[in-house]
Amino acid sequence: MLVKSHKRALFAFLLLFALGARPAGGSAPQQDDQKWFEDVTHKAGIHHRHHTRRFNNPYAEIMQGYTKLGAAVAVADYDGDGFEDIFVTDSCSTCKNHLYHNNGDFTFTDVAEQAGVANGNDEENASSGALWFDFNNDGLPDLFVARFGHSILYQNMGNGKFRDVTKAAGLDRYMNAIKAIAFDYDNDGYVDLFIGSYFQPINIFHPGTPRFFPESFENANNGGGVTVFHNNKDGTFTEVTSRIGIYTTGWTLDLGHGDANNDGFEDLYVANDFGTDRFYVNNGNGTFTDKTETAIGFDTKKGMNADWGDFDNDGLLDIYVTNITDDYMREGNFLWHNNGNLTFTDVSRETGTYDTGWGWAGKFFDYDNDGWLDLYVVNGWVSAGKESYVPDIFAMVTRPNVDFADARNWPPIGNKSLSGYEKKRLFHNEDGHIFKDEAARHGLDSSRDGRGIAVADFDNDGRLDLFVTNADDEPFLYRNILPTGAHWMGFLLEGTKSNRSAVGAQVRLTANGKTYLRYVNGGNGFASQSTMRVHFGLGKTTKITSIEVRWPSGLKQTFPALAVDHWYKLIEGQSKSNVQPWEPKR
Amino acid sequence: MKNPHARLLAICITLTLFRLSAAASDSEYQAGVKALAANNYVSALQHLELAVSGDPDNPRYASEYRQAIIRCKEFDRSLQFFQKEVSQHPKSANLHLNFGFAYVDKIPVGGSITQVILANNALNEFTQAVELEPSWIAYYTRGVSYLFWPKIFNRAQLGVSDLLKALEIQNKGPRRSYYAKTYIALGDGYWKTDQMEKARAIWQDGLKQFPDNEQLKSRLALQGEQLKAAIEDQFDPGKRVNTDLRDLWSN
Repeated sequence: MLVKSHKRALFAFLLLFALGARPAGGSAPQQDDQKWFEDVTHKAGIHHRHHTRRFNNPYAEIMQGYTKLGAAVAVADYDGDGFEDIFVTDSCSTCKNHLYHNNGDFTFTDVAEQAGVANGNDEENASSGALWFDFNNDGLPDLFVARFGHSILYQNMGNGKFRDVTKAAGLDRYMNAIKAIAFDYDNDGYVDLFIGSYFQPINIFHPGTPRFFPESFENANNGGGVTVFHNNKDGTFTEVTSRIGIYTTGWTLDLGHGDANNDGFEDLYVANDFGTDRFYVNNGNGTFTDKTETAIGFDTKKGMNADWGDFDNDGLLDIYVTNITDDYMREGNFLWHNNGNLTFTDVSRETGTYDTGWGWAGKFFDYDNDGWLDLYVVNGWVSAGKESYVPDIFAMVTRPNVDFADARNWPPIGNKSLSGYEKKRLFHNEDGHIFKDEAARHGLDSSRDGRGIAVADFDNDGRLDLFVTNADDEPFLYRNILPTGAHWMGFLLEGTKSNRSAVGAQVRLTANGKTYLRYVNGGNGFASQSTMRVHFGLGKTTKITSIEVRWPSGLKQTFPALAVDHWYKLIEGQSKSNVQPWEPKR
Repeated sequence: MKNPHARLLAICITLTLFRLSAAASDSEYQAGVKALAANNYVSALQHLELAVSGDPDNPRYASEYRQAIIRCKEFDRSLQFFQKEVSQHPKSANLHLNFGFAYVDKIPVGGSITQVILANNALNEFTQAVELEPSWIAYYTRGVSYLFWPKIFNRAQLGVSDLLKALEIQNKGPRRSYYAKTYIALGDGYWKTDQMEKARAIWQDGLKQFPDNEQLKSRLALQGEQLKAAIEDQFDPGKRVNTDLRDLWSN
């Protein structure tokens, strides 16, 4: 591993002596006993539960233990009314997906049927992920539904309806897709599509061979890997995976992009289950180079999540990856601190973010508007009966010469639990050097089997809310009710020369001599896509110095001081002197 | 062999061969140590392997060989070597013990599942060592090995049982400084089996025997989460376990 003890020691030293760069000295008024999130799931009408797909094949009982997936969420304002809407997947063969239209009053209406996006499941396909992305630059977020089977691209027609354009777009192929993100890797003004697949592209509903399970627990290379589709700018895509230097056949669970070296080109982190995560550096010429060995080293863990954010406000994007940490398997997560030279150091132990059980989505966001990115992490694999599945799996792994790739060798899980009933973690960022778990205090410590987290400001009040999906269970909608006092500022970015949704745009806000970096991400995080809006917590700061936007096109614009506590819409190339607070249409 | 003269002759020949073999092994061992000092791992491993092969029951040779392996990270070579040796000398408790340690030595560089496989293999070898020669080192080693296993496997109780046997053995012989380890591990075993009072009692017994032992003092000074953290740290599979057996011949 690249993680060297002296680097870790240096980081710890720097943290210990770092002066906190808190904006104007503080967050919201300290009321330590107060709860800042309210569970409004039922009140908001958004409580349809998820149903795991049950298979009907000779390996069904075995697959049951390894396919408790598919509870995904993606957020975007699909109808342009100024309020962020929520798309949620279900997975059973007769189950419908949900498009929750935001009514603007923290209630939602499921309009999936009317919109034409409800039918994501049938006997041959199971929904597993979702992504909003504007593939045709018309300003309307289109919807990609990742599936075990044939994924679907729905074009947003602008009238509340969607149209299946998968075949016309050249995206119709069999993949066991579980994750999709979209960013403009070659900065040609259109976002490209990156798809992560778990199983290799065999029909898992009717597998012709029993050898479709991971060949190893630590170095499996017989998974679905990553497939990249270049956007041809005419509504079609061309597969370019190997041509652009992406090659991984791991059991991919998540993809995360960000500009690691601030060169204006988005780099890629691939979180793989059963083996090595991958780090690809964008060469700036439409290709990538696999820099795993030098950037992060070769790991053997169970990567589930890859979110990027500048947790220590040093101007460089860091990466949070969840793995499995339990009594029987102490892998620990990665909090990859960006060293600024395309290498990363894992500081999860030093920062207290190491152990989140069997982790799934982990998202950076500033829930208390204090200027530091906090982390919410969901976890838990299978919460069932009292009996543990661990001895069964260990009996298998200690059997001599067992062929892991053969599903028949894996023990059925039955009603046993595996890393079940785990408490979720809300890590409050304490000035960029340590995180403190505040989940219980804020009522975010559910023990359901969490999967995805979408962060968004559903009522446009500058306080970031959460939507959490749970496998085989109801989701959670948590409304942020942080007391007033901590200031904030937010931006909706629109590209003109750059891709229209400005994915990859970086915003640097300067106040009190400190600069804070946030960016537009195109869907990072396991089973979930958060808002594409850019949000800054400002603590007690009431005046900012400047805002710099670095657009994917390369254009840099500096905007003068704007009033705090507002959302603003910034359009690439627009006059800097005429920026007014943005309000929703309704 | 009914002729007493012939029997005597045979014993003499055996003893002579043994002495010759032991001398040759010692010579290989010295050459290995010298090569190791010069960081010449290729030569060091060759000599040390010859030393172990020539005197399979010598704990020093096997232990020093493994320490050399740790330095040059040739863990698979060590495993192959001991596999071959135990097949040639299946009755050597020392070889089985060190074969087990060779698996343990590799654990920190393995992934989480490989660690389980290695630990399980190590346990099998430790059991062979116990069955062949129920010594203090065999019981102590297997007892501690059980304590590394996750609670779900209920192996800590087996560890306690082995460590009690190790304690019984050590109480019958002369006092050795390394015997303090048994008290520490046995207390940890009690702690892992939720017998806190017994844990404290055995640590206190240990401290009476070894009043300067810092680990025993530390165990008794800690409580609650701090004690849990200290014990969990002790049994962190990601950390290298000290498998150097030099205490056995230097104390």
